[in-house]
Amino acid sequence: MSMLARTVGRTFMQAAAARSLHTTSTLRATDNYGANRTTCTLIPGDGVGPELVYSLQEVFKAASVPVDFECYFLSEINPVLSAKLEDVVASIQKNKVCIKGVLATPDYSNVGDLQTLNMKLRNDLDLYANVVHVRSLPGVKTRHTNIDTVIIREQTEGEYSALEHESVPGIVECLKIITAKKSMRIAKFAFDYATKNQRKKVTAVHKANIMKLGDGLFLRSCEEVSRLYPRIQFEKMIVDNTTMQMVSNPNQFDVMVTPNLYGAIVDNLASGLVGGAGVVAGASYSSESVVFEPGARHTFAEAVGKNVANPTAMLLCGVKLLRHINLPTYGEIIQNAINKVLNDGKVRTKDLGGQSTTQDFTRAIILNMS
Amino acid sequence: MALRLTQRLLQTQTPFLTRGYPLLVTKEKTEDVAHTKSALQKKVTGTDIPSAQYGGRHAVTMLPGGGIGPELMGYVREIFRYCGAPIDFEVIDIDPSTEGNDDLDYAITSIKRNGVALKGNIETKSQSLTEVSRNVAIRNELDLYVNVVHCKSYPGIPARHHDIDVVLIRQNTDGEYAMLEHESVPGIVESMKVVTVENAERVARYAFEFARQNNRKKVTTIHKANIMKLSDGLFLEVANRVHKDYPELEHNNMIIDNTCMQSVSNPHQFDVMNMTNLYGTIVSNVLCGLMGGAGLISGRNYGDHYAIFEPGTRNTGTAIAGKNIANPVAMISASIDMLNHLGHKEHANVIQEAVYQTIVNDAIRTPDIGGTNSSTDVVENILKILSAKRVNWPHGNYFSQI
Repeated sequence: MSMLARTVGRTFMQAAAARSLHTTSTLRATDNYGANRTTCTLIPGDGVGPELVYSLQEVFKAASVPVDFECYFLSEINPVLSAKLEDVVASIQKNKVCIKGVLATPDYSNVGDLQTLNMKLRNDLDLYANVVHVRSLPGVKTRHTNIDTVIIREQTEGEYSALEHESVPGIVECLKIITAKKSMRIAKFAFDYATKNQRKKVTAVHKANIMKLGDGLFLRSCEEVSRLYPRIQFEKMIVDNTTMQMVSNPNQFDVMVTPNLYGAIVDNLASGLVGGAGVVAGASYSSESVVFEPGARHTFAEAVGKNVANPTAMLLCGVKLLRHINLPTYGEIIQNAINKVLNDGKVRTKDLGGQSTTQDFTRAIILNMS
Repeated sequence: MALRLTQRLLQTQTPFLTRGYPLLVTKEKTEDVAHTKSALQKKVTGTDIPSAQYGGRHAVTMLPGGGIGPELMGYVREIFRYCGAPIDFEVIDIDPSTEGNDDLDYAITSIKRNGVALKGNIETKSQSLTEVSRNVAIRNELDLYVNVVHCKSYPGIPARHHDIDVVLIRQNTDGEYAMLEHESVPGIVESMKVVTVENAERVARYAFEFARQNNRKKVTTIHKANIMKLSDGLFLEVANRVHKDYPELEHNNMIIDNTCMQSVSNPHQFDVMNMTNLYGTIVSNVLCGLMGGAGLISGRNYGDHYAIFEPGTRNTGTAIAGKNIANPVAMISASIDMLNHLGHKEHANVIQEAVYQTIVNDAIRTPDIGGTNSSTDVVENILKILSAKRVNWPHGNYFSQI
């Protein structure tokens, strides 16, 4: 009897999905979209990345989004199956847009290489700006509400320069590189982002009281660039105070610009405030290309195959992608569906306090698209 | 004489930007007028500002200006939205009635950091003597030393001459537009025209280089050196000297009054024209008038670091503002020039073809070029054509298709 009930329920759900598909196809035909299609590079990544990417593809298919994916399996923990980095870089340079799952980073290197695959990808494409938009989502219960902060992080220098060596046995030196050129570039990115999105304030996060030369150069570069933007307020804050202010009064931050390591810290801290790694989307920019990926960058490897990961972050990446390639209407449809599902609260993944599976959540999104 | 000239220059300085930019933009407070600095000095002191291109999208300053500017800019944004151009506009309004230069300073700062601007004409309504023309202030401050207007006929538009294809290359920052006027004695006003070798050479070299790169055959230098033997004579002499570096091109010269007569009687004799500021504005208006008026032709302003795109005749069109009869083609052509400048040739070609089809094949025209349609009729037809040719995102292999 219960078997029969489950079968009937599944049939109804499929019928509803089919109706939804038919409806959206009709809408798309009258809109006269789809005259041309955009190719996007797709890197599923490690851990639950492939499952989340599958959710995204399902949603795009249901919405008849005119985007074709060019899929490459890139992995550092599975180098035998991995595609060549050169091929992936060439694909991203050609398409200029990419959606990427999180690549796992091992604690040690098998071949003695200090640079991780993530770092190589960023350096080859010069993806210098990482933008994480941390925003309170409807229906997600958190201690703070109305958080709406953008964290812009420099991604190609600083502590991630991969310049480490053991000068004497037992003494290791790690070189942190700060350049005026790249500091000014990321500062200008932050202020241009603030200008474009009608933000009022940019906060530079630093530790220039201790690292007076390195972080001091970063801070001076930000100050110089701020003079070109007289209508945007500029603030400085030491990174330890930033983390305290972030957990006690996060609403004071509007746009933040940081060097590499502090950006990683503040990204993850802010993600935790609004619901965790599963609900925050990010993007990495170079001048010519953009790579969309979850903001907090966790592979969630312990959940592989269990169908419990939250696909919201990856779906929000898809929404950002659609806005970037001039398809805001589709982005709006998917964003509204996400808001509806989260607001209802009936279908929630485990990280948001519910019991639903990844596929349940994806199906709910598809059913709520209109 | 030289000492008095120097003193006069210093006394009449009206700084356009009062803030200091010690690292990014070196500003020497005693030398605000562009022509008082050598070209080499300009290059050395200008530190490069990082480009405003992020993920393939460009940030661009938009200055609607006055008159028909705002409505034309609305059309441009709608067209860009329809064809999927990866441009993000930063819109800055400058109120023509206000005193002071706060909005102007901010606009100049914005163009400096974005590098590219789309501009309508900005009125200067104030009669106060301390108010300079804001258009001239922008060009001087950004050192946009050359203005290019490509006058090319559209088939089928009623005009006395057909198949005109002339390029005007005009100085932007010298000559009578140096903004040096004063009343030395009550009832006697002196207006100083300044010609410098450096600026004359820059614009002449641009003209010859443009002719060479675009397969043009002849460059004509326009002057009045028979009367102003020193100033226009210098301009002509510099052009003759630059011509020696381009022996495959023909070079002749013509006096401005004869040029106006020749333009209306036989405009086909001209190929590329090189001229100073005031003659440029006269001849560009004459040629635009021959082809159908102010609403068809776009103009480009270039410097070493910045570019501004605008309609060719720089008119505000105040008399027809708000009446839905302004010809949007000039501003749309300016936006096409901007897309080409930024490298988005795919989108530029799509819009260009849509405009051409609308004006020529479909014959949807505003009253200024002999039609009966409104501005929105023209724009809506362009949008209808674009909806079938939409380019959501530039194709990676576009250039290999050529």
